[in-house]
Amino acid sequence: MKPERTPPPSDAALAELAAAGVRVLISSEPDIMAASRQARLLAERLGFSRSAAYHVATATSELANNLLTHAGGGRLSANLLDERFGSGRLGLELLAEDEGPGIADPALALTEGYSTGRGLGCGLPGVKRLMDDFSLEPRPGGGTRVWAVKWR
Amino acid sequence: MNTAFQRLQHDQRAELLADWLQHLTTTFDRHHAHPSSLDIQREVLFNAILATLAGVPSDDFRLDPESELGRHLSRLIAEQARQLANPADSIGSLLALKSILARALIALDAESPVIDELLWLDRVFDGLSLFAFKSFVDIRERLIAEQSLSLLELSTPVLRVWHQVLLLPLVGVIDTQRARQVTERLLESIAQYEARVTILDLTGVPVLDTSVAQHLMKTIDAARLLGTRIVMTGISPEGAQTLTKLGIRFADVISRATLRAGIAEALLIVGRRIAPLNEERPA
Repeated sequence: MKPERTPPPSDAALAELAAAGVRVLISSEPDIMAASRQARLLAERLGFSRSAAYHVATATSELANNLLTHAGGGRLSANLLDERFGSGRLGLELLAEDEGPGIADPALALTEGYSTGRGLGCGLPGVKRLMDDFSLEPRPGGGTRVWAVKWR
Repeated sequence: MNTAFQRLQHDQRAELLADWLQHLTTTFDRHHAHPSSLDIQREVLFNAILATLAGVPSDDFRLDPESELGRHLSRLIAEQARQLANPADSIGSLLALKSILARALIALDAESPVIDELLWLDRVFDGLSLFAFKSFVDIRERLIAEQSLSLLELSTPVLRVWHQVLLLPLVGVIDTQRARQVTERLLESIAQYEARVTILDLTGVPVLDTSVAQHLMKTIDAARLLGTRIVMTGISPEGAQTLTKLGIRFADVISRATLRAGIAEALLIVGRRIAPLNEERPA
């Protein structure tokens, strides 16, 4: 049984969603939950399927958790990616930025089961699998920037 | 020679008080019943404010919480904060008194300017407003902290389903504090009831991610050491998919889709089953 695809939101609704991105400053545990909840809400309003919205929520909480445990906090945002006039797709973009110590070895950080903290070591590789596009790069001013997109 | 405030205190106390109370009744008390004790409290506060104003002006007025005025004000604010009144109303009622006093001051002596007195009035009410604001926020914060504590208490019941069978329904967000409390309660109950099976129902957990999974694994490990088996129930299809994508494995944990199936499984482990009353007994 294939889940029914909901129709995409109307243009007016999209314009509203584009303006109403999620921006959460992560500095304590409740912020993680708030970010995850808001990202899920955004995904649902964009018409993502239940499981895709759940993936977005989980990816958000993984990224926010990383910000808190490894960089002592950071910014997390979720935005609408409107490529209807290019590739014809609608997506949801997650962006996690911190001013932490940076990731020494990005390839290693994406390895299953590797963790510098006390985690399970499946957060970042998990996010990569939960989302469709993914990139991890050092920020110009120091720190790390993780970008991930889920397409509808 | 008396200062302007001493003259106000002496000659117009009753009128000014009546003015203020009247103003408060028409502006702020319209929507809710107005307990008579409030008027008395307001009068006490009014007298204390007037006494402070009639005292020696200082350049830097800061309200001492231990002074008489400080105690009266914080008592009044505490009551308003507990009744979930609007903070703007609390401060607004103080500022209303300030404008009444300012007008009285100007009317008192049209000949000589009362600038020094007005400035003193301003300093005192600035101090009072800051103090009121701070106590209001303090009290609300304490209320919120108390409420979230009681919510935490409420949200982690360990239920006894049957002899040696426990049920732990998890509802809501599982953060570090919650996980610790859940584990503590569960272990206590397992020991108390000598539980052989514990059903962990995750139906009410909004998002499963690695940190939640990690908390659950620790809880499960500790519970196992006390000799109970864990039956996990209520993982949604999306949750299951997400957990596999994250590469998380709950080794050696029996999992059932629904709480119903989980209870049946748990009873089976302790050698029971739920059967209809009129079931034909084997001959």
